[in-house]
Amino acid sequence: MKRRSSITALAVAGLALAGCSSKSSSNGSDVAATHLAGAPDWCGTKKVTLAQLDGFGGNSWRLVTTASGEDEVRKCPSVTSYQYANGNGDTQKSISDIQAFTAKGVDAMVVFADAGQAMLPAIRSAYKAGLVVVPYRVEVGGAAGTDYTQFVGASFVNDCVSWGKWIKTILPGGGNLLFLSGPKGNSQGNDELKGMKTVLDGSYKFINEAPFDVTNWDPALTQTVLTAEIAKNPKIDVIVSDFGPSLVGALPVFQNSGRSIPALATSDGNALGCFWKENHAANPDFKLFTVATGNDNVRLAVDWAVAKATGGKPPSSTTFQAPSFEDSVTGTPHPVECEASLPGDIYLSAQLAKDVQAKVINNK
Amino acid sequence: MANHATRCDTTRWNRPRLRVARGFVAITTATILVFALGAIIAPSSISHSAIIGMVPFAAVLAIAGLGQMLVVQQGGIDLSVAGGVSLAVVIVTHQPDGDSAKLGAAVAMAIGFAIGAGLINGLLVTRLRLNSIIATLGMNALLYGAVFAVSGGTPRSTTRLLASIAGNTTWGIPNAALFAVAALVIVSVLTGKTVAGRRFEAIGANPAAARAVGLRVRLHRTLAFVWAQLLYCLAGALLAGITHQPTAFQGDSLLLPSVAVVVLAGTSLLGGRGFPVSTVIAAVFLRELQQFVLALGVDTSVQTLVQAIALAVGVALYSVHWSSVRSRLFGPRPSQTGDPRLGLA
Repeated sequence: MKRRSSITALAVAGLALAGCSSKSSSNGSDVAATHLAGAPDWCGTKKVTLAQLDGFGGNSWRLVTTASGEDEVRKCPSVTSYQYANGNGDTQKSISDIQAFTAKGVDAMVVFADAGQAMLPAIRSAYKAGLVVVPYRVEVGGAAGTDYTQFVGASFVNDCVSWGKWIKTILPGGGNLLFLSGPKGNSQGNDELKGMKTVLDGSYKFINEAPFDVTNWDPALTQTVLTAEIAKNPKIDVIVSDFGPSLVGALPVFQNSGRSIPALATSDGNALGCFWKENHAANPDFKLFTVATGNDNVRLAVDWAVAKATGGKPPSSTTFQAPSFEDSVTGTPHPVECEASLPGDIYLSAQLAKDVQAKVINNK
Repeated sequence: MANHATRCDTTRWNRPRLRVARGFVAITTATILVFALGAIIAPSSISHSAIIGMVPFAAVLAIAGLGQMLVVQQGGIDLSVAGGVSLAVVIVTHQPDGDSAKLGAAVAMAIGFAIGAGLINGLLVTRLRLNSIIATLGMNALLYGAVFAVSGGTPRSTTRLLASIAGNTTWGIPNAALFAVAALVIVSVLTGKTVAGRRFEAIGANPAAARAVGLRVRLHRTLAFVWAQLLYCLAGALLAGITHQPTAFQGDSLLLPSVAVVVLAGTSLLGGRGFPVSTVIAAVFLRELQQFVLALGVDTSVQTLVQAIALAVGVALYSVHWSSVRSRLFGPRPSQTGDPRLGLA
């Protein structure tokens, strides 16, 4: 009896080891480079399944981003199954989503790890279990090749270099800048300020609380903060905000105070474009410059995950560079765009077709 | 609790005018003080544009606070204020989807949800005898479920009609303030000048005694939750109009302030008499205090601290028995004739 138990235990251990070894060698490190004819370079021939995991999926930006990820996956026929999970802003659920997909045996996952470093242990265990794991946009700590396959970041510093250059062109002699970002201490806001300061010298004065005015990206708080700043500062030349659409409700405060809306450097959104079109004539100082909000960051992450899992050629970049989108002064690369017949919360800078975006949002 | 209420009633019976004056005078003085401090230290906080910008948000808080006050008067606390406001925001923006013609139907739908939520809250508390904190916490989760079901978490931009109704001014006064005044008049008249309102207060002060004399305790308590939800609905609709591009979680930031204004106004968390006018003034106080600290340009952490200290001082004005503190510090005075436990000395 005892001997039979030992043999059974050995057999189970052997099977477990075999399972581990077969998986651990499949997390993208040993897949030979291939290319599926007619598909993008990053699409190899090995058939795989892929999951997209979202820490929080409850706003229009996330809906468009999720749909963009799925759209990118469809470009590669080697991905036989695509699944999505929404963490609903709950770190525990996000962790359990990763564990569930690992247990289900998907080959690759892209992870929007909203909870940041708290997600690293789950990400690492999925990677150790042999999956191709690509966290994107939100830093999770750890290192590529040890804790996950590849991290695909966003260059917030780069966004703000673009804003800084534009501000210099419209305000060459310097001026007063008001910088609004999200919660206190958020790294995105800090990076953006760093980016702007590489371009703007001391003649450009940030009149906000250092390093930025805290708005929590909440339209109501944004409006309150802007009201206070307008009352306090008789001269605001440019407002810089990393969430343009939240300003739409706040900007009329300038008109209520009998002042022109100033120039605005921000990220794009259909509501903002339409607001500019309706109001720029009555507000002579209202110039607008936007960078893409970055929905397509997920596409680069999907490219990486699919390439590593299927044996395709990984992209050359590991960082998503948000392109400049609208410039009301030069019209380059685009004049300000507005689709009045479509929802205000679609993003015309995204690759996903605008009517598809509208459909995605309306279906929810 | 009943004993306490009875004791408070005894106190009130002996000094009714002083008690009414206490809450009103304290919060009015504090509000005048914050405006005066603003004028001296940070004049921009009382400039015309700052006041015009502040008033709509104070109005929204006042309306939500009036709803919370009705529940607090019945000895409860309504934690579903966040879900109620957020659901109204989502419905009045998502359903019309930019089409002003559909706004009426959306508002009707939001009112329907508010009445339903209020009734369920009331039934959970009165029939199933759940603690109001537990019942309304559960309802808040349900309301957020409805927020996601209706919108997927993505409200639309506000319709032009709602933006003009909530965001414009009439004779220089923000429309939202007019709505708040209307809500204040309705709540004040209904609770203070009608038989039903007096019964409502009596039930809040002492439900056992009210039941003993045959008052319909369950009905009044349930209606408190329904009226509260209707006021949250109004607050949500106005907030949607004021912010143009609201989020699906716009009500979250009203949860604690709505309780704070009720307490600052002098309404006892144990139930009983409510102070609607003081509640509205407390809303103005809190929002002007926010403008004041923003105008000072201090760090966010300091802003939060200043607001917290103001709240603590405000609450201490009511909850600390100052005459007892005085007598402890300086000993009993020879002229003392009343019972010190009742604060009549």
